[in-house]
Amino acid sequence: MKKGIIKKIDNSKRNFLTGSVTLAGVAAATSVLPISIANANHKDSSPKGLPDFISWKDRNALIVHSDKGIETHRSAIGESLITPNRNIYIRNNMPTMSDTQIGDRNNWKVSIKGVKNPKTFSLAQLKKLGHTTMATILQCSGNGRGFFAHEVRGSQWKTGAAACVVWTGVPMKVVVDACGGVDSDAVFMTSAGVDHEPTGLDPKKAKVERSVPKKVYKDAMLAWEMNGVPLPNAHGGPLRMVTPGYFGINNVKHLGQVAFTKTESTVKYMKSSYRISPIGKKGSQYPSCWEMPVKSWITRPTDETGTVKAGNVQIVGVAMGGMKKVRSVKVSIDGGQSWKKAKFVGPDLGKYAWRQFVLEANLAPGSYNLASKASGGGKTQPELRMENRRGYAHNGWKDHSVNIKVV
Amino acid sequence: MRIFKIFIVILLFSFPLTINLQADSEKMALGLDVYNNKAACGACHILKAAASEGNIGPNLDILKPTEEQVKLIVTEGLGVMPAFGEEGILTSEEIDAVSHYVFTSTNK
Repeated sequence: MKKGIIKKIDNSKRNFLTGSVTLAGVAAATSVLPISIANANHKDSSPKGLPDFISWKDRNALIVHSDKGIETHRSAIGESLITPNRNIYIRNNMPTMSDTQIGDRNNWKVSIKGVKNPKTFSLAQLKKLGHTTMATILQCSGNGRGFFAHEVRGSQWKTGAAACVVWTGVPMKVVVDACGGVDSDAVFMTSAGVDHEPTGLDPKKAKVERSVPKKVYKDAMLAWEMNGVPLPNAHGGPLRMVTPGYFGINNVKHLGQVAFTKTESTVKYMKSSYRISPIGKKGSQYPSCWEMPVKSWITRPTDETGTVKAGNVQIVGVAMGGMKKVRSVKVSIDGGQSWKKAKFVGPDLGKYAWRQFVLEANLAPGSYNLASKASGGGKTQPELRMENRRGYAHNGWKDHSVNIKVV
Repeated sequence: MRIFKIFIVILLFSFPLTINLQADSEKMALGLDVYNNKAACGACHILKAAASEGNIGPNLDILKPTEEQVKLIVTEGLGVMPAFGEEGILTSEEIDAVSHYVFTSTNK
């Protein structure tokens, strides 16, 4: 039946998707990773289970918008700085590659171009070349989209399309040095995944290729380990570009090529997608989702964690500086009328990681609106969101506040 | 005679319903046709009602979008998904039909 339906598709009418590739290629690719409901144990009694490719994740920590858009509950982001892999959100533009498609992980290849001596490295060779560990924040460009008032296409993320991750891999600078340095006329570092290849779709429309300013390579890394385990396929294994301080889309998964280029990539995911444009407008003239802004949000107590017992309450959250170190965070228990400085707790894992904060407050029975406001790099979170067509880069503190009831 | 009158009344009242059902049935048929052929939605989406198992975009049976959400995304596209409306691939009637079909098929 399924094949019958697929065969009915008029190949000549779907070249908007596939370009020159055949429909058989798509059909073959789509049969590689069948999605099925693994379990249905969600607390909110939703029947939505986890798709097979992430059946190892904690269903109770996650909000399933779709089998391709899965968010971490506000209260499940982790209270020990690092977000556990089983709780981390999923936002993949292409289907996750399977073990079969990936093959021998140590033999995974990445090509480096736009350098004095272009080279192709296997993962095994990269592991010999250099080694580093770094904590960064992985955050979807659309994290907070669910707070926008206008109807925005895409997953309605609130706070949970974000995670703090410890990566292990090789510094991009070491790789570049091994290739004799960057071409002098390069302006961008352009990273490309290969996860579109098994789909047979037109690379111009399906390839996840992202250009960022060339300077990013100095802090970037090619990661093969995520929070102490080999980089899971669902998060771009076996090799992923990590662009610290930049939105998730620039941290290209299933990495196949890094090129230093004079111009930005012309694929759809660079040219027209992920552009921050006014509502009702679009186009490549608008800024791309690159640097993340200063941001914070409260993770406990929240409306997800039920009523709070009156007395001393630990108000806990996470704060990030984006490209700069987060300097301070203030907390309000009255919807932003008054603010108190919160205390950072736990180790400082560097400017690209988030800090955890806590403010102890003595709360009498009643209703409260809890808000947090972070500062860093000379900037402070604004009260309101920056309105934009696709609901990107939201860091307004008001929408991110939480209402709790103390009894 | 009385039974005949009742029959006439039932017939009169059910006539608009019949028309509506027929119109809906035609819209569903067009929606399925657009889904399977002109838009080839099944190449990228799972939808049990259409027996399609594409795995590029979201599983529509899990997503359960509203009719308005389908219209918006079919019109404007998203990521690799073409802007079927803005690019003139589908007519507004076809977009209405396929949106109605997807919504009805996933929200039973």
